[in-house]
Amino acid sequence: MSALGLELGLSTLMLGVFVVGVVARDDARRIAGMISAIGVLALAVGSFLLEPAPAAPGDAFVLDGLALFAKQLLLVATFIGILGSLSLTDPAFRRRAPEYYLLLLASLLGMLVLVSARELILLFVAFELMSIPLYVLSGFLKRESVAVEAALKFFLVGTVSSAILAYGLSFVYGAAGTTALAGVARALGAPGPLLLVGMFLVLAGFGFKIAAFPFHMWVPDTYEAASTPFVAWLSVAPKAAGFVAIFRVYLEGVGDRVALWIPIVAGLAAITMTAGNLMALPQRNSKRLLAYSGIAHIGYMLVGLAAVSASGTAMVLFYLVAYVFGNMGAFLIVEAVAQAEGSVHLDALRGLAERAPLLALAMLLSLLSLGGIPFVAGFWAKLYVFWAAAQAGLYGLVLLGAILTVVALFYYLMLARPMYIDAPRRSGPIPVSPPLALAILICTLGVVGVGVYPKPLVELTLRVANALF
Amino acid sequence: MNDAGTLALAALGLPLCAFVLLAVVAPLRRAGKAAGALGIAAIGGALVAALVLWRSGQGVELAWSWLPAEGGPMATVGILVDPVAAVMLVLVALVSFLVQLYSLGYLEHETGPALGRYYAYHSLFAVSMIGLVLAGNFLQMFIFWELVGLCSYLLIGFWYDKPEAARAAVKAFWTTKVGDLGFIIGIVLLWGRAGTFTFSELFKMAGDGTLAPDGLGLVMFLIYLGAVGKSAQFPLHVWLPDAMEGPTPVSALIHAATMVAAGVYLVTRAYPLFLLTPDVLALIGWVGAFTALLAAVLGLVQADIKRVLAYSTVSQLGYMMAALGAGALGAGFFHLLTHGLFKALLFLGAGAVIHAVGTNDVWRMGRLGGAMPQTAIVFLVGTLALAGIWPLAGFFSKDAVLAGVWEGGLTVPFLMLALTVFLTAFYMFRVVFLVFFGAGRAEGHPHDPPVSMSLPLWTLAGLTVGVGGYFALRGGGQEGHGPGWIPWVSSALAVAGIVCAWVTYQKQAVSAETLARIFAPLYTAAQRKFWLDDFYGAVYRGGFLALSRLVGWVDRYLVDGLVNWASAWTLRVGDRLRRIQTGRAQDYLYGVAFGLLLVIVWSYWP
Repeated sequence: MSALGLELGLSTLMLGVFVVGVVARDDARRIAGMISAIGVLALAVGSFLLEPAPAAPGDAFVLDGLALFAKQLLLVATFIGILGSLSLTDPAFRRRAPEYYLLLLASLLGMLVLVSARELILLFVAFELMSIPLYVLSGFLKRESVAVEAALKFFLVGTVSSAILAYGLSFVYGAAGTTALAGVARALGAPGPLLLVGMFLVLAGFGFKIAAFPFHMWVPDTYEAASTPFVAWLSVAPKAAGFVAIFRVYLEGVGDRVALWIPIVAGLAAITMTAGNLMALPQRNSKRLLAYSGIAHIGYMLVGLAAVSASGTAMVLFYLVAYVFGNMGAFLIVEAVAQAEGSVHLDALRGLAERAPLLALAMLLSLLSLGGIPFVAGFWAKLYVFWAAAQAGLYGLVLLGAILTVVALFYYLMLARPMYIDAPRRSGPIPVSPPLALAILICTLGVVGVGVYPKPLVELTLRVANALF
Repeated sequence: MNDAGTLALAALGLPLCAFVLLAVVAPLRRAGKAAGALGIAAIGGALVAALVLWRSGQGVELAWSWLPAEGGPMATVGILVDPVAAVMLVLVALVSFLVQLYSLGYLEHETGPALGRYYAYHSLFAVSMIGLVLAGNFLQMFIFWELVGLCSYLLIGFWYDKPEAARAAVKAFWTTKVGDLGFIIGIVLLWGRAGTFTFSELFKMAGDGTLAPDGLGLVMFLIYLGAVGKSAQFPLHVWLPDAMEGPTPVSALIHAATMVAAGVYLVTRAYPLFLLTPDVLALIGWVGAFTALLAAVLGLVQADIKRVLAYSTVSQLGYMMAALGAGALGAGFFHLLTHGLFKALLFLGAGAVIHAVGTNDVWRMGRLGGAMPQTAIVFLVGTLALAGIWPLAGFFSKDAVLAGVWEGGLTVPFLMLALTVFLTAFYMFRVVFLVFFGAGRAEGHPHDPPVSMSLPLWTLAGLTVGVGGYFALRGGGQEGHGPGWIPWVSSALAVAGIVCAWVTYQKQAVSAETLARIFAPLYTAAQRKFWLDDFYGAVYRGGFLALSRLVGWVDRYLVDGLVNWASAWTLRVGDRLRRIQTGRAQDYLYGVAFGLLLVIVWSYWP
């Protein structure tokens, strides 16, 4: 029973939010947000009290170290995302609050199941449960045509990818003769061509979810059009879930045959890093810039995956934590500024250091973390990922990543420069609503905490990853 | 974690809190006096912690792994408290406390923000210096080592609108950097041989002989270079006299008692390693003795009271190094401690004089003994201690050094040091007679300083007498095992120096000009600082700047050209790539199809 505890708790919470939506009228519905926040916080706290249970080989649903780690990360990220969403002022977010939070929690439920799934059908169902609410959420402001357009693009690309995923899964089932991942891993011991075709099709499907190049094209449009706190969450949570699913399908129990994936993952990593970083350069819209930088970060994580080793996997998990705090922090600060200035253009950040020194400092820390500067989380993340790849002999990839880090620093500092160098266009402080401020604080503390003292997290991820091999 | 660990961390943490508060909370910093009170309270707390730790006599070693890696941590952070560190910690905290208290009076005319800045730097210095003392490994020590260098730079240049101060700050920074370069290379080479930065592990390896001795000499020499820079040993001593452009309390704290002693502390700390390389130790001894003599000669001709004290500091640091080089570890460290007390006293006394008369020039002072009796008494105590007169603290430590060098078999360095005893007494009493006695030339109405300044002076004077008295009653210094004639000879030399100074500057039986004529070549050479500064200047202008211009050309036209070309190209590619983002959903689906094709083709590529 306890293996499903978090999912059951989340379902109960969803039921509560639903009832609020039915019972409460108009503005009273805002309470749905508070309930969701408190509920997710309670679940997050609960998840840290749980102990991982060792999985039997045949289990379809497991709560091993990897699943628990991922669930904790997802719950924390969702808590931050909901806190950020509480500050949204558009009337739609008040009137239709239960709808918004219900969709968000439904997607979260999909993610929680996905990271535990060790069976192909459950995996696919969880994948869809995670994805479909996201399409609705990105077009939540249905009167705004850009949002609807972006949601539609997201949906179209998403369904095609789901179709490819399902197609690939059918090959895998056909070749392996089982839907259990343990059986698939066994079958990979002597893979036939059909099984490999299936696995590569599945990789393309996951590639959409984690937004690897060239499956990333929905990302900038969707991020730009959807509400920023949601985007902050969208940019991290589904990607974390996607990576864990990839670990399950491609690495867990496969043994020496994992070397099969090295060339293809290394290739994806290289083009994703390159394209993400280069396309971020000409952007003048903070959200689009962060969207492309997020793609680049996926590329860096793929570098760790390409090492197909325990340390590589551990370092991707570490990277995910750093990325959750750094990226969400940056997006939420963009939102805080946008709420005061009404713009997400780079110019809106001008003179932020003068008007809101703490906000500017938090943004700088997030950007430094994303850029990989020592003593904030992102530095260790990049260092460890490159290290793992170097151990696996992927020196070319490491070199490419290191060069692209320089490119990345250029555009991160392009974000930081107007904050500290340029004069503000308007004077006066920037008001930040308390929940948003709390969310930003959590992100900043995470970035600094992991950066100053990464040891416990590294040890935890190594422990989690070693169990996979 | 036990009590000693908690106390050590408290000593480190309190000034750190003060610094962070002063750095972050701008109104507090701008308040000036309140900032000072906070800094003083924090360092006072650290002093109490240090005293308790020292009295308890507990040793402790704490280490946390810092950079985790699969094969054990790459580096640890930790603290190491042993008797040496504990007593050094007390010295650092005590002098810092007294100097911060003194500064409140000395800098009363500064504006609030400037005073706040001063105390923020001072707190950072306290953190760094305490961190340096407590460091449990070379890497951590180097980090704090650089931090004290930074604080020294900031505080020398405290009056940054004064061009000399700004120049002196830069000079100090660059000169010590030359040594630091050797230090860090040495640390890394040592790590390459031993695989660890941690002192205790290194000492264990040194003890059981697992550290290969061949080539270790170079490593230890490089580490010693760090000490040469920081402790102003020949030939890198040139920065210390210029550093006197900073406020006088800063000179007392950083450039007399604590930071400049860090080099001596480094050699003390790493002594088990230096013992493996006798050649390097001998070099340390010779360089130390030569530095002592050279600086004493230079001190003879200075007109600026602080510069006299600065050369005297260089000279005394030479004593400490000479003792270490001769194998007298205890004597060298003992002299570090006593010197820290009486040199801080002398500087603070000089500060009181400068504060009263508004000039550094000894020729424009005189007969101040009557106007400032308190200052005159404490300054005299410090001078007698520095000259090595029984029963003050300096007598015992200096004799221990001389005995140690003699026992160590370094005869020529011993003779240099003995001659330096005479010169030290001479140049110090030259200052005493010119400033406090002799003809009255001072302008204005000098008076004794306020309580916040005189209290530190009396405390240090009391300690100088007290420590000396303690050893006098106990009958001898820590390592008074040398031949019995040494104390007599050194005392005779010191008295001779005093008498000569009296004859020349008080009685004026021999005119200073005549002396200068007799020793004309030496006098000119000393006036020109033995042309060392000129030599460095020429090397800097001729060699270094020419090289810089060459490198600058390469950088501007080759490197920058390449970089500009690469960045322009990067931007152009980024712009091209952006265009594939057409905004049309069908193109996005083509993207997915293309990606799928790519995956399949790539994975079946032969």
